Amino acid sequence: MEFEHFTEYRISLNNKKEVENIKAFLALHGLQLDSDVEYTVGVFDGERLVATGSICGKVLKCIAVDKEYQGLGIANKLVSHLIHEEYQRGNTHLFIFTKPENYTMFYELGFHKIAEVPNSVMLMENHPAGIKNFIEEIKKQNKSGQKISAVIMNCNPFTLGHLYLIEKAARESDILHIFVVWEERSSFPAEVRYRLIEEGTKHLSNIVLHKGKDYIISSATFPTYFIKEYQRVVEIHASLDLEIFRSYIAPALGITKRFIGEEPYCPVTRTYNRIMKEYLPQKGIEVVEIPRLHRGENAISASLVRRYIREGDVDKTQRFVPKTTYEFLTSVEAEPIIEMIQRDDHRH
Amino acid sequence: MGKLRRTMMYVPGNNPGMIKDAHIFGSDSIMFDLEDSVSVKEKDAARFLVYNALKTIDYEGVETVVRVNGLDTPYGKEDFEAIVRAKPNIIRLPKTEKPEDVLEADKLISKIEDEAGIPSGTVKLMAAIESALGIINSYEIAKASPRLVAIAIGAEDFVTDMKTTRSLDGVEILVARSQVLLAARAAGIYALDTVFSDVNDEEGFINEVKLAKQLGFDGKSVINPRQIEPVHQIYTPTQNEIEKSIRVLEAIEEAERKGSGVISLDGKMIDGPIVDRARRVIDLAIVTGVYVEEEGEGIA
Amino acid sequence: MEIVKVGMAGTMESSDAIVTIEPNTDSGIQIYLQSSVEKQFGNQIRSVITETLRALDVDHGIVRVNDKGALDCVIRARVQTAVLRASDGGQFNWKEED
Repeated sequence: MEFEHFTEYRISLNNKKEVENIKAFLALHGLQLDSDVEYTVGVFDGERLVATGSICGKVLKCIAVDKEYQGLGIANKLVSHLIHEEYQRGNTHLFIFTKPENYTMFYELGFHKIAEVPNSVMLMENHPAGIKNFIEEIKKQNKSGQKISAVIMNCNPFTLGHLYLIEKAARESDILHIFVVWEERSSFPAEVRYRLIEEGTKHLSNIVLHKGKDYIISSATFPTYFIKEYQRVVEIHASLDLEIFRSYIAPALGITKRFIGEEPYCPVTRTYNRIMKEYLPQKGIEVVEIPRLHRGENAISASLVRRYIREGDVDKTQRFVPKTTYEFLTSVEAEPIIEMIQRDDHRH
Repeated sequence: MGKLRRTMMYVPGNNPGMIKDAHIFGSDSIMFDLEDSVSVKEKDAARFLVYNALKTIDYEGVETVVRVNGLDTPYGKEDFEAIVRAKPNIIRLPKTEKPEDVLEADKLISKIEDEAGIPSGTVKLMAAIESALGIINSYEIAKASPRLVAIAIGAEDFVTDMKTTRSLDGVEILVARSQVLLAARAAGIYALDTVFSDVNDEEGFINEVKLAKQLGFDGKSVINPRQIEPVHQIYTPTQNEIEKSIRVLEAIEEAERKGSGVISLDGKMIDGPIVDRARRVIDLAIVTGVYVEEEGEGIA
Repeated sequence: MEIVKVGMAGTMESSDAIVTIEPNTDSGIQIYLQSSVEKQFGNQIRSVITETLRALDVDHGIVRVNDKGALDCVIRARVQTAVLRASDGGQFNWKEED
C-alpha cells in the first residue's frame, strides 16, 4: 500500500509564479512549456515539484519526472491524471510526442507507436489499432487507376487558387484524393471548409474527398503548423507528418504523386514543402509544386480573402473565390465566422 | 469482551493499491471511504471497487466499515444498494444531524437486507456527527436505532460549522467531544474520536490521543498506518494497572467462594464500577498481548 | 447494455488497471489486453473481462485494458464502471447481484 504523500495539483496558467516554477523544472529536463498548453498539472512532494505534464487538445505534452523520483510510479499517476482530464474534456483518442528513448515508458502507459523520426521524435497514440483503423477507413474509398495523386488542403476558405490547383492536379491524374485538414484551429470550421470544397468541385468526376482527421496535418501529427515555433522543431514535426503520409496513407491508396501549392509567404508551410521534396521521392512519390494563380498583382490566397473580410470588404472577395464560396460568405450562416475573423484572425 | 475499536483506518475508496492490503497494518477496523476522499466524477468507480473488494478479499476478521455518501446526495441511495449487498460489518453515515437520518438509513438497510436475503440486522450502523445541530441532537441520534453501534465526532466539518479552525489543544471541540461521549455512554454504544490530519506531527498526535483516551473515547480514526501503533500503545494498560486489576478480580473470586457479600481490598470497599474497570483493563491487556492468562486461573 | 460512446475507468497506478470500452463497428467483443503479468495471468484476466461483460449483457464493443497487476475484483470493478459510463445513462441492477 502506498499511503504516500504526493499531491497532484492543477497549475493555474494565469499565476506567474506557478508557471515559472513549471518552466524552470521543464528546462532542467531539456523541455519547454509550449505556449498553447490548455491544462497543466504538477505532482508535489510537500512543496517540491517532482513531476509535471500538460494537455493541448488531444496531445499530452511537456511531461517530465524528477530523476530522483523515478521508479515510484509517479509517471503512472501523472499520465492517469492527464488521461482522466482529457476524458472529461471529451478527448479519448490521445497522442504523445516524445523522444524515441521514452518509448518503453509510454508503451507501458498504454501508448503505441505511430511513427518516428530517428533520434529526434516519436509520435504515439493510446489506441493499439488507431492508425490501422484510419487506414482501413480511407481504403474503403480506394479507386483504381494508373496515376493516383493526392493533395492536402486546409482551404480557410476555399478560393479560386485552391480550385485552380485541384483542377490542374485532377487533369494530370486518373484519381485525385483530396484530404481536408480536420483541425478546428482555423476561422472556418472543418465541416464548412469540407462542404465548400465539395460544392466548388462538383464538376470534377475523378476526385475523392477525405476528412483528414488525426493523422494528416493535425495538432497531433504537426503541432507547429498551428503554433509558430523554432525552425528545427518545425522540421522535425514536418518530417513526422510526412513519414505518416508516405508509410501509411500513400500505400493504402496507391498514391504516387502529391501536389502542393507554391508558398510565397508562410515560413512554416515553406519548410514543410521543402522537407516533402526530400522525403516523398525516397518512397517513389513525386512532388509537384503548382505556382499560385494571380488576379492582377495579387496572388490569390485564403489569407488575402480573410484580410478583405477582416476589413469589412466581403464584396471584394468575389474576385478570388468560387461562386459557391461567395454565396456562403454572404449567407446568414457565415455571419458568426465573419464576426470572429473581424475580432481576431488566425494565420491558417 | 466487547469489540476493540481503538483504531479505524481511513482507506480512500478509489485506490486499489490501498484497498487490497488495508488489513495488514493491524488497525482494529478499516474504513473504506466513498465520501470526501472520492471526487464527484469517481463516485461510481469507487462504489464498484469497494463493492467488489468486499465481496472477494478476505480481510481476515478485521472489522470492515464503509463510509457512504449521505442520503441527501445523488450518490447515497445507490451506495447503500451496493454496499449493503457486500455485507461490511458497518456502514458509516456521514454528517448525521438528527435521529431521522439514522432511522432512514436503518429502514433502507432493512429493505435491502430483506431483498438480498441477508439476515436482518447483519449490517450495523455508525453515525458521524459533524455539525452543531448534530452535537445538540447527539443523544437522540445515539439511541435512534438498535443497529447503531457507535457514534463518532468529525471535527473538520464541525469546526467550520462553528466558524473556527482546529488547534492542537482542541479547546474548540472540547464541548463537542464531551457531548458525543455523554450521548454514547448514555445510549450504551461506542464513542470514536476524530482524525488528526498532520501525519508528520507525531507529538501532537500522541497528545491528542492521550486526551481522547482520558476523556473516555473507545478509539480514534486514523489516516495513515503510521498512526496505528501509537494509539494502540496509549490504549494498552500499564503493568501497574494490570497488577491492580488482577488483585481486584482475585478479591472478588475469593469473596464469591466464601459467599461473603461485602468485598474489600486493602481496607477499601470494592463496588461494581471498580470491578467493571478491572475487567476492562484485563480484557484489553489480554487482547493487546501484554498479559497472558495462565491455565486454570480463570479470571473474568 | 448497449455501448454508445467511449467509457473509461481506473488508472495506471500499481494494483489498478485502466479500462476503456467503445462501440464496435463490427459485431462482437474485441479485447486488447496489455498487462505487466500477461504471461502468468493473461488468460485469467481475459476471462474476468469476458464474464463481467456477459453479466452486463454487453454483446458489442472494443475493450482496451492496461493492467498494472490488479486483482480480479479490481478488473471487474473497472470494467463495470467503464461499461456504465459508455452506456446511455444505464443503471446497474444491484438486485441481480443477489
